[in-house]
Amino acid sequence: MDTLAILPLAALMVGVLAELLLGRVLSPRAKGWVAFGSGLCALGGALALIPLISAGKVVEGTYFPWDTGVPLRVHVDGLSLLFVLMASGIGSAILLYCVHYMEAEPEGTTRFYALMLTFMAGLVSLVCSADLLLAYLSWEVIGLCSYFLVGFWYKDPAASNGARKVLVMTHLPGYALLSAILLLYSRTGTFLWTDPAIRQAFTSGLFLLMLVAAMAKSVMFPLHTWIPEAMQAPTPVSALLHSACYVKAGVYLVARMYSLADWPGAWNTVVLALGCVTMLVGALFALIQVDLKRLLAFSTISQLGYIFTGLGVGTGLGVVAGLFYCLSHGLFKATLFLCAGVVQHATGTRDLRRLGGLAARLPRTARIWLVASAAIIGVPLTNGFVAKWLLFTAALDAGQVLVVLIAWLASVFSSFYILKATVSVFYGELPAWLQSRRIEEAAPSMQVGMGVLAGLCVVFGFAPQVIVGWVVSPAVRSLGFAWAGQVSWLGVPAGPAGLYGAAAAIAALAALLVGLGLYRLASAPRVEPVGIFTGGDPLAAADSMLDAADFVGTVEEAFAPAYRIADPDPIYLAVWRRLQDLVGSVDRAVTPLLEGHPLWATAAAGAVVLAVIWAL
Amino acid sequence: MGNPAMTSGPVESWDPAFLGVFLILFAGVAVFAGAFPQGDRRWWRLLALLALLITAGMLLGDGWARRLLLDAAAFVAAAMVCNRGTPEAARAGRTYLGLLIVSVICLTGGLLLIPDGASAPPYPWNRVATGLLVIGFGLKLALVPFYFWLPGVAAAAAPMTTVLIVSVVDLAAVSECAHLRVAAPWVFTGTPHLWLAIALLSMFGGALLALAQRDLKRMLAFSTIDDMGYLVLGVLAGPGVGLSGALAGALGHALSKLLLFGSVGMAEARLGGPLSLESRGLAARCPVSGAAFIVGALGILGLPPTFGFVGRWRLYLAGAEYGGGTLVLAMALATGVAVLYYARAIHRVWLGAAADAPLPREPRLATIALSVLMIAVVTLGVFPGAIVWQLP
Repeated sequence: MDTLAILPLAALMVGVLAELLLGRVLSPRAKGWVAFGSGLCALGGALALIPLISAGKVVEGTYFPWDTGVPLRVHVDGLSLLFVLMASGIGSAILLYCVHYMEAEPEGTTRFYALMLTFMAGLVSLVCSADLLLAYLSWEVIGLCSYFLVGFWYKDPAASNGARKVLVMTHLPGYALLSAILLLYSRTGTFLWTDPAIRQAFTSGLFLLMLVAAMAKSVMFPLHTWIPEAMQAPTPVSALLHSACYVKAGVYLVARMYSLADWPGAWNTVVLALGCVTMLVGALFALIQVDLKRLLAFSTISQLGYIFTGLGVGTGLGVVAGLFYCLSHGLFKATLFLCAGVVQHATGTRDLRRLGGLAARLPRTARIWLVASAAIIGVPLTNGFVAKWLLFTAALDAGQVLVVLIAWLASVFSSFYILKATVSVFYGELPAWLQSRRIEEAAPSMQVGMGVLAGLCVVFGFAPQVIVGWVVSPAVRSLGFAWAGQVSWLGVPAGPAGLYGAAAAIAALAALLVGLGLYRLASAPRVEPVGIFTGGDPLAAADSMLDAADFVGTVEEAFAPAYRIADPDPIYLAVWRRLQDLVGSVDRAVTPLLEGHPLWATAAAGAVVLAVIWAL
Repeated sequence: MGNPAMTSGPVESWDPAFLGVFLILFAGVAVFAGAFPQGDRRWWRLLALLALLITAGMLLGDGWARRLLLDAAAFVAAAMVCNRGTPEAARAGRTYLGLLIVSVICLTGGLLLIPDGASAPPYPWNRVATGLLVIGFGLKLALVPFYFWLPGVAAAAAPMTTVLIVSVVDLAAVSECAHLRVAAPWVFTGTPHLWLAIALLSMFGGALLALAQRDLKRMLAFSTIDDMGYLVLGVLAGPGVGLSGALAGALGHALSKLLLFGSVGMAEARLGGPLSLESRGLAARCPVSGAAFIVGALGILGLPPTFGFVGRWRLYLAGAEYGGGTLVLAMALATGVAVLYYARAIHRVWLGAAADAPLPREPRLATIALSVLMIAVVTLGVFPGAIVWQLP
């Protein structure tokens, strides 16, 4: 059992060592295969744990002593396994994609692969750690990996600035987590979260401290503004960061807090409110983006809002919804990013205003994108539909009608921005500047990487009971929820309660099939340009020069007050400038006086110290 | 001289660890000075003398002979500052020397007032002794409000001389302070609020003034003041997690500061001028220096998985146990400010586009020394057992 518990982590660390030791002799391609092999071994280790964990067991082990009284202790339960599977599974697909993507990179590929594997290992270590101090260590290792990966092209000022924002905005709130852990230790004398004493000592203050750390990692409003700046990273990094290994760390922490304490209603309310606000803010900002990766970044913010909302509902079904959404988001968001990477690789731009008509040149990528787009929008037969269905059901069961309305509104926005991106990139006519350019479809290894992820979106959309039964349910049970429900085909809850849902799902599916059949019968599909997406009626011919930016302008105008209120960056910037001005003034006033007359200054300070001692 | 405090005491468990790190630092400084001259031949002689005095002092155990040797080492360091030969260095050296004399007088006076080297003398001598010791350690460790010599020394002295002062001489003083905490706890427990105030003032004062600096070496000097605040807090918290945190923190500080000053010194020597926030994109031209600065900064900030974290989590825990949530959050806030100025330095000076033409390759020996240190800082963070078992 011990060996199984450490296997995924060990496989990844062996990969890191191999990259560092063999970096000088291996080609970039070979390094990619080594990294992929390492990820695959980690995935194998995670899969081997499924039978034990789904049977309700916990796998534990104690390894080398890291520090005095702090050994490396592993505790793998259902929740850990879900995240290990996500990190190793999605991570492996991304690494496979990297083999070709990074092949032509002139320098830094050893650094790149070592960091990618450490990134994955960091998440695995975080979710498997029984020791809160080592969990914090892993938390920060993840943070540093993302910092270095976002700044991979460190000579590019945009990448460097993006990395700085990642470091500052995610590391600083991390001190809240460290403080909470150390305060817990000072009250209980243990770092082990499995120790019952932790449950007794866990207070609302500690909950809030941990929540702040989780908010920054999981891009909750108002700590979300670092993620669009992180888009300067190589695309596989963005994919990993958004799907599996970074933003999900905060989700894990919030879910794990169900193991640490019995949540009073107020905690649920706080998490629900955060989730709802974030899903709306993220979707609103995604609407106005003209950079494909920035659009996807804001979409991540919105989607993480759904996940937090699921966790915040606080019922067994809510947590099922949150965790299923978490897994689903990992799959479709990684796919979307990888497709965006192909587009950028092929055209050299991510600007929606300069793209179009790529479905004809990148047909396989376009199909994969469509599947993932359908999933993120929540089209039936995809995992995104199941995730939303579960979430809406859980919220309705808990009487949270307002939450459902907000989630519905955010879903409408999601449909708009994803359609905008889809049409702007893949449909319409190929722009003149691209017509003479050689646009190559993604290499087979890249297609396999993306294709597997997109395929899983459909598999888990059609038969979600597989993943719910084997992975999500054990995770929910490990958090202390006695959820006995089941999910059937297409995500419909099994049993009498799911009858209405089942009927609705069948009706929706039948409508889709009938529509498709009629369309096929009425006209054979042919490739032809389509009008630009406007979010409304087709444009008149005179307006055919309009593009995605015009849609952006309209939305921006319509929601102008919301954009002003929902962007906290001007506040952060003002605080930073004020702080700099203040310390600058103090330095200018104090330094010449004190450093210019050190003996007098020392005498004065000494007199003050002696006076204080006498007064005490 | 019948005062028992003047006889030799035991070699504390952490002394070998300190000595080991000091020897690594001397080797690193020597390699670096071999590649980039830090002074004339006298500088090398002074370095050898400093190494000898520190090594002998650390081997002697607690007592007057040790204090004498460590104080002598500090005076040698002051001579090394003056050795640079510039008017600024001479002025900084004189200031350092003058305040060092005051510090030694205060410490000696304070210790002489402690009858058996441990028990508190009767009122009012207990207060006089405490006051003298606070001033003496405050000056030696450059704590707020006694830090006035350090920024000038950092800006004017050769980088490796500064490293020797902030990483060897100062930390030998931290070790002395820890010895005193064990032998005569009343010095700290009698006036805890004063020590706590000095620790917090150093943390926040150092961090905020570092944020105001544009010269990188002055920024690093204020960062040292900031860091000393945490170490003093650890010493104040006392045996257990506080003292071990202070000592582990001191060792981490020493290694990281060598990386920071080494990288700045190497870049300055190759560019022919001081580094400031106006410098741009140096990592593209001096990649090893850039990496060393980043690793050193992460180590000083106490980020895992560097060795700095091993000391920092203990110090935070000491804060939590000593002052509860408020103190630990205050410490986190001070560290947050430190993150801001280090992040600014990394991203303005080192990362980003290089403004000028590329430079020739960095000297091989110096890059090897910095690389070994970087690996050490990370390896000791992942496997700290080799060092922490020796801490109290």
